[in-house]
Formats: sequence, structure tokens, C-alpha cells
Amino acid sequence: MDAVQDKTTKAPRRNGQEDGPGPGQRLLSPVARLGAGILTLADHLGGIVVLLGATLWRLVPPRLDGDQLRRSLFKMGNQSVPIVALTAFFTGGIMVVQAGVFVKRFGATSLVGWGAGYAVFREIGPILIGLMFSGRVGSNNTAELGTMTVTEQIDGLRALAIDPISYLLVPRVLAMVFMLFALTIVGDVVAIGGAALFGKLLLNVEFGVFFQSFGWLGTADLFQGLIKASVFGVVIALTSCHFGITVKGGAVGVGRAVNAAVVAAAMGIVVSDYFLTYLLG
Amino acid sequence: MIRLEDVTKWYDGRAVLDHVSLHLEPGMLWGLIGPAASGKSVLLKVVCGLIRPDEGRVIVDQRDITKDKESDIMETRRKFGMLFQNNALFDFMTVGENVAFPIYWGSDIEPDRLRSLSVKRLQDVGLSGSEDKVPSELSGGMKKRVGIARATIADPKIVIYDEPTAGLDPVTTSKIYDLLRNLQQRNESTVLAVSSDVQAIRGFVEHIAVIHQGRILYNGPERELDSCADPVVHQFIRGDADGPL
Ligand SMILES: Nc1ncnc2c1ncn2[C@@H]1O[C@H](COP(=O)(O)OP(=O)(O)O)[C@@H](O)[C@H]1O
Ligand SMILES: [Mg+2]
Repeated sequence: MDAVQDKTTKAPRRNGQEDGPGPGQRLLSPVARLGAGILTLADHLGGIVVLLGATLWRLVPPRLDGDQLRRSLFKMGNQSVPIVALTAFFTGGIMVVQAGVFVKRFGATSLVGWGAGYAVFREIGPILIGLMFSGRVGSNNTAELGTMTVTEQIDGLRALAIDPISYLLVPRVLAMVFMLFALTIVGDVVAIGGAALFGKLLLNVEFGVFFQSFGWLGTADLFQGLIKASVFGVVIALTSCHFGITVKGGAVGVGRAVNAAVVAAAMGIVVSDYFLTYLLG
Repeated sequence: MIRLEDVTKWYDGRAVLDHVSLHLEPGMLWGLIGPAASGKSVLLKVVCGLIRPDEGRVIVDQRDITKDKESDIMETRRKFGMLFQNNALFDFMTVGENVAFPIYWGSDIEPDRLRSLSVKRLQDVGLSGSEDKVPSELSGGMKKRVGIARATIADPKIVIYDEPTAGLDPVTTSKIYDLLRNLQQRNESTVLAVSSDVQAIRGFVEHIAVIHQGRILYNGPERELDSCADPVVHQFIRGDADGPL
């Protein structure tokens, strides 16, 4: 049986291409560095948009693993409910302390409830909880997916004819968007509770007075915050997944990716917050 | 059954695979040896479509997978079982779940039957009673064997082993090759195995290829390897310190 063909072609050696970058390339001019930075940014933005498309594509009809979804929801909830509650509680307190000077000077006790609710619902709640969530759950997600990438577990799934996006990413994205939404509601409630409590303790604002002015808030105030929370959820989920699955270079690369993902998510949150606040009025 | 035609793959301006052409027949036991970073792992991943070559064609069962979409390549990949160089065990699953995973996904086998199949396959590789452990609790050799169990549980037609015995002692090494031989005979599968342990793999395969800097220097019957005139091959199989390598 002469099954094996030895058809190795003798390609010409490609000399010169194996050398590293020359000394000139290492000392890049500022302009070149700016250009490279813009290219990197565009590269990541493109990757995130492609990932968004790929995720949406797999949602109609839903093709995802229920087991992975439950696992993600459970873990993310477990990780973040305590820290979100604690942060929100003291955030409510901080707002009362900051407002205290004016409340005392002008005797505006009746405004404390409304002021706290307005700030928490529209801005502080979603943005603070979003940033906490990104630091806690998003970074964990990047590290996990990054480790799976460098230990070839993602290739392992592909080798078993399993689509890693359906199996790993879609459940995580859904879980993160849902969890951030739910945590924002929890955080809003706890922050308002904290504000009412600190208002009573520090400024002697009765609960009745606090919640009377709180009642001036409309559903628009609440919904603006929840819409923001949903968008931030998508931003955090996609950035953390994108940086996780594109890790290169072993454990060091995973560290770098986590770092980049948290910074990118924070920037994404602030930038999208600006546009959402502008659009939602 | 598997045919590579002039396959070239570039990484960072360097040809990691340089016009590689091969032809593997069904049922063949084929080994690939070569120094570190010569392109062995990349070649295996190109064969099962995990890496797309930049030039050339990869044909599996008359199908050119280089032109296929990822979803079509998935269909072809079902014919393969693969042991990765560092095992790629899923660390969020137990050992038993890892082994059962290839037959669990997308099938409606009952959990009990799934479990008994995975326990049985773990027995075959000498790991009875490990099914409820997690991969991080296992030694290197045990992880390899779990990887082998997972690669073969679906009885694939083609099995790829990337360094099945790297870092193992000689006794475990020969046990693993016995195991691979038994699995191959039972399923009459085609086997592609990579190893840097030249002597051990020569005892296992019928056909062997030597790769160096992305180019195949020898590809033919194992027993004729010694008469290959290429100085790199000569030095590599004898393990000499002096020579072109
Ligand atoms: N994804 C990648 N990106 C850049 N270089 C790679 C990549 N994969 C492999 N290489 C390079 O290709 C060469 C061959 O790698 P590999 O096939 O893993 O070697 P080995 O023969 O030891 O298995 C190495 O120099 C490696 O650095
Ligand atoms: Mg290798």
C-alpha cells in the first residue's frame, strides 16, 4: 500500500521575515502611536459589534444552553447582591450627608426624599451599580473566558462541533443583562432606604416627610434609570466577553485582557450614559 | 480520506506551515514528529478545521473544508475526536461530565445511560472511580487519560492525539500507547498522533512524518525512516547534539 505521498514542495526560504521589529519601529513617533491607538480602538469596537450581531442572531429562535444560563445567573447573583446592597446603602447615606448643609441652611427637609430619589433613579443607581457590576462580574467573566481561551477549552468546544457563542457567550450575555437590571432595582430600593434612614438619623427628617416628597417622582424617573441599566448591561456583557475570547499570550494575556475589559466597560458606560441622558431628557 | 494540498499558514509574517501536502488513508496509524514549535499542533488543527490555512486545500472525505462556512465545518468535525496538547478539559465540569460531553450535547440519551457510558470509558483508560472529581484534582497523566476518554467516547472515525504522552513516565507511556492501539483496533479508526518522544511513537505507528520549520522533510513508512537521507531528520531521530538543528 503506497498510501503516503511525499509531495513536499521545496519553497524558497523567506529570509528577512523572521527578524523582529527594527530599532526604528520601537521608537514610534507620537503620530504613529496615536494612529495605532485608533486602529486598536476600531479593532475592538468592530469585534464588539460583530459579537452583538452574533449574539442577536442566535436569539431568534433562541439557541442556548439552559444549564449554562442557570449556572451564570446563580453565580452572578451570588457574587454581586451583597456588594451592591452595601454600596447602595451607603450611597444613600452619602447623598444625605452632602445635601445636609443646604437642607439645614434653608430648612429644605421636605426636599430630601425627592432629591435622593431623583439622583438615585436617574443617575447614581444605574451608573454606580453598573461600575460595581463591571468590576465584579464583568472582570470575572473576562478572566474565565480568557482562561478557557488560553487553555484551549474554547477550541475544545469547537472540536466537539459545539458553537462556543451559543454555548458559552449567549447565556452569559443574557444573564448579565438580566442581573444588572434586577440589581439596579435592588440597589435603588436599598439606596432610598439608606437615604431615608440617614435622613432620619442625621437631619431628623421623618420618614413620612421623606416619602411624601419622594412621591413627586414619576415613572419616567424610574424608567430612565432602568433603560440605562439595560444598556449598561449589554455594554458590560459584550466588552467582557469580547476581551475574554480574544486573549492572546497565556496567563499574562488574561491579566491584560481583564484590565482592558474593565477600563473599556467603564468608558462604554460613561459615554453611553451621556447619550442616553441626552436622548431620554 | 484526508488530503492536504499545499497548505500554508502564516503567523506574524512567518510560514508556520510551508506548502504541506499529505494523504491519509482510512484506518491508517500516522505519526508526526518534529522539534518544538515546528508546526505540529497547528497542522493537527488545520486537519480538523480548527485553524483555516491561508493557502492550499484541506479535503476530508472528498469535501474541501477550506471553503466551508464554520457551521458546515462543524458537520465535518463530528467525524473527529481530538486530544489537545494540554488536554483542554472543561474545568467547570466533573471528569465524568467531561467524558460524556461529546455524546451528551445535542442528543437525548438519558442521564443514567450517559453516566454508565462515561464510567465505562473511564474504566477503559484506567480511571475507575474518578468520575466525580474535577479536572484540577488530577495529575498530568490522569488528565491525559481523561482527554483520551473524551476524544474517543463517540467512537469517531478519525482520532487526533496531540502529544498523548508528553511529560509521562515510560511505563505510563507504553500503557497509553497500548490503550490507543486497542481503541484504534476496536473502532478501525484513522489515527493521527504527534509526539516528541520519537522512540515511543515509532513503536505505535505504521507511517510517520517529520516536520521542521513548517516543512515536511519525510513522510513514509516508519521502518524506512532510518534510511532517510535528510540531515535534519537524521539528527532528530538519533537525538544527536551536533548537526543542522
Ligand atoms: N495563534 C498563534 N498565533 C501566533 N503564532 C502561533 C499561533 N499558533 C502557533 N503559533 C506559532 O507557530 C509555531 C508552531 O506552533 P505549534 O504548532 O504549536 O508547535 P509544535 O510543533 O510545538 O506543536 C510556533 O512558533 C508558534 O509560536
Ligand atoms: Mg504542539
